[in-house]
Amino acid sequence: MAALGLVAAALLLSSCDGLGGISPIFPTPVSPNGQDIYDLYKGISIPAIVIFLGVELALLWVVLRYRRSKQPVGYVPPQVHGNFWLEIAWTAAPLAVVLAIAGYSFVTLLKDFQPPTNQQMTVVISGHQFGWEYRYENGLVVHQEGTLAGDVTPFVVPVNTLIKLQFQGTDVIHSWWVPAISGKTDAVPGYDNVSWLKISQPGSWRGECAELCGVGHSTMQIIVQAMSQSDYDAWVKTQLATQSPAASPSPSPS
Amino acid sequence: MAATTVLPRPKNYDDTFFKPISLWLTTTDHKLIGIMYMVTGVLSFVIGGIFALVVRLQLSQPNLKIVDAETYNQMISAHGVTMIFFFVTIFLTGIANYMVPLMIGARDMAFPRVNLLGFWLVPVSIILYYSGFFTGGALNAGWTGYAPLTEKIYQAKSLGVDFWAMSLIVWAISGIMASTNFLTTIVALRAPGMKLTRLPLFVWAQISTSILLLIVGAPLAAAMILVEFDRQLGTQFFTTQGRPVLYQHLFWFFGHPEVYIMILPGFGMISEIIPVFARKPIFGYMSMVAALFGIVFLSMTVWAHHMFTVGMNPYVEGFFMFMTMLIAVPTGIKFFNWIATAWWGSIEFTVPMKFVFGFLATFLIGGITGVYLASVPVDTQLHQSYYVVAHLHYVLFGGSVFTIFAGLYYWFPKITGRLLNRKLGEWNFWTLFVGFNGTFLIMHTLGLEGMPRRIATYANQSWATTNLIITVSSFLIAFSVLLFLINVVRSWHGGEIAGDDPWKGNTLEWATTSPPPPYNFERVPPIRSFMPLRDLRESGEHVAEPEPVKA
Repeated sequence: MAALGLVAAALLLSSCDGLGGISPIFPTPVSPNGQDIYDLYKGISIPAIVIFLGVELALLWVVLRYRRSKQPVGYVPPQVHGNFWLEIAWTAAPLAVVLAIAGYSFVTLLKDFQPPTNQQMTVVISGHQFGWEYRYENGLVVHQEGTLAGDVTPFVVPVNTLIKLQFQGTDVIHSWWVPAISGKTDAVPGYDNVSWLKISQPGSWRGECAELCGVGHSTMQIIVQAMSQSDYDAWVKTQLATQSPAASPSPSPS
Repeated sequence: MAATTVLPRPKNYDDTFFKPISLWLTTTDHKLIGIMYMVTGVLSFVIGGIFALVVRLQLSQPNLKIVDAETYNQMISAHGVTMIFFFVTIFLTGIANYMVPLMIGARDMAFPRVNLLGFWLVPVSIILYYSGFFTGGALNAGWTGYAPLTEKIYQAKSLGVDFWAMSLIVWAISGIMASTNFLTTIVALRAPGMKLTRLPLFVWAQISTSILLLIVGAPLAAAMILVEFDRQLGTQFFTTQGRPVLYQHLFWFFGHPEVYIMILPGFGMISEIIPVFARKPIFGYMSMVAALFGIVFLSMTVWAHHMFTVGMNPYVEGFFMFMTMLIAVPTGIKFFNWIATAWWGSIEFTVPMKFVFGFLATFLIGGITGVYLASVPVDTQLHQSYYVVAHLHYVLFGGSVFTIFAGLYYWFPKITGRLLNRKLGEWNFWTLFVGFNGTFLIMHTLGLEGMPRRIATYANQSWATTNLIITVSSFLIAFSVLLFLINVVRSWHGGEIAGDDPWKGNTLEWATTSPPPPYNFERVPPIRSFMPLRDLRESGEHVAEPEPVKA
């Protein structure tokens, strides 16, 4: 019974881990930094799945083969106290694997996680309890006040434009996360935190605050909407017309 | 060897539980203190579990309002604090308090009265924390209590954060006392012949745990004192005008080693239990010890991997990533050595051994997902999502809690003199194994899909089915814990009498009676290896069998 359960468990575990590895679940990345994270995730999954299956199968073999009922009557196990070279081997092998993973990760880290210098525009994003504020260089401000249903004012960006995102905190720490674009960036009071995006296709993507920030935490929803350059220019024009001169709370776009 | 006459045990100790309350309140016996630690831990487990069930009910479907967001935030915080500070750490301190002196052939801990004080600070700490609920609301910022959310201006109505901070200060003092006591005991009170190279691996694990807690307990207290300065004296350490990230550094300098404080004793138990039931000595004793200290060192160099999204220099992040991944190496050594110990063995799948294999099968997953999380770019995607919740439960539940169950089923006969019921134990294991994996395995996918942790509710319909499955499975865990509690209560009263050495153990605690007398050993057996009891059995020498005690 024990064996059966472990077989079932191992199958279940392996299949699910496999799903995570070549995930249909992970949202399809639309920004190069998100794509790099996704590729890295898949890269780590190769040794991860091999090690997972190898060790679980070894455990299964031990459970099935070396149980007392499978051993001859009066069997006395060999009294082995260790094996120097074997122990060296399973110190060195994992070391090589993690060094490779760390190296690959570090390359991606240096590539995507430094403040960009060749950005085509900059947006300052500040988090507050409970919503986001996006300040464009042209003076435009989008107020994305939180609602649980997620029908928030979209943060509009043009496609194929490298946009530097500069995060600021005004009260507690928030974390800006749109899974389809890239990882999280915290908006911390006291300094600017930097990230970037370059969305490849028009569309809308959802996200939300990922750092517990009070009772309204789950309402801090995010929508990022990417438009073609011409649509974006038109949008900016209407927004500027409605917003200036006094910065009134943002009307819904379009 | 001459037959030994066994001194009758004092009447008070005939039964391990039903003793006058005055004795429980004043005892300095490490065994009774150990039992009190363990009972406190199990009660906390039940309370923390109830918080978790409320959380799971709330998340079972989108847009539920079983509790409001403020209560929800208090529930998740109380669940985390209770499980980490009041259950796992406390329970493990208890089992070590009971077993370490026995395993090294000592009469008691080095400082019995410090032990007494250290234990009684625990209920003080627990009561302090829960007092928060009666002051307008307990801590509501998660168990990590990130500033500036814990600052006064964001907590206008309640004193919960103050009670949490005070509770953890007391807890840290208690932990430092216990650690000092363990280290002194192990250094100074070992029986003749118990060289360091003959220490049971559980004792080595306790040495490394104590070193860790001794080092990181103080920074935790420091962080809490600074939080209190901010809240009560108007300083600006972690406020919106101050340096909120400094709090995270201080907290995680404690918080990450705390993870190892909760798992290393479990590693020690696994290293004790596998050899006994596989009838083979532990494979690679010295590399097991070295791996423990490798983990101790590395665990103090990785704290900022909890902070990869706050915007650090990429080279600093790279350092923390690298050190974090290195932990996979000593952990891997332990894993391979455990498997090698069982290899070619003659394994008896008793309930403790089932929990050991349950631990190996699940902890592996926690270890592997830990490598994903260590990778900075991947972590920015998975951090603060349900992927992390799944990961941390794989290491703390699939890890620590499974080892705790293994240790309990293994040592319960020594502590009470009676075996836990095997049939109920099997049910306990299988329901826990299925319930645990049902709850946390698919939880990884929620994180990949973008569900952040600590949200009080959600509108996204595509998360609904997964969340429902998780909630149903979590009640299977609760059912399993119920079976366990029934088993403990029933077996303590009327379980099968265990005898001194029901498992044919390797270590000294099995040389004395079950339960041991107040003085532990009438005569400590000769110690010629790290398996003194097995040596004794194999040399054909007589192990003292006590006469049954008459009431």
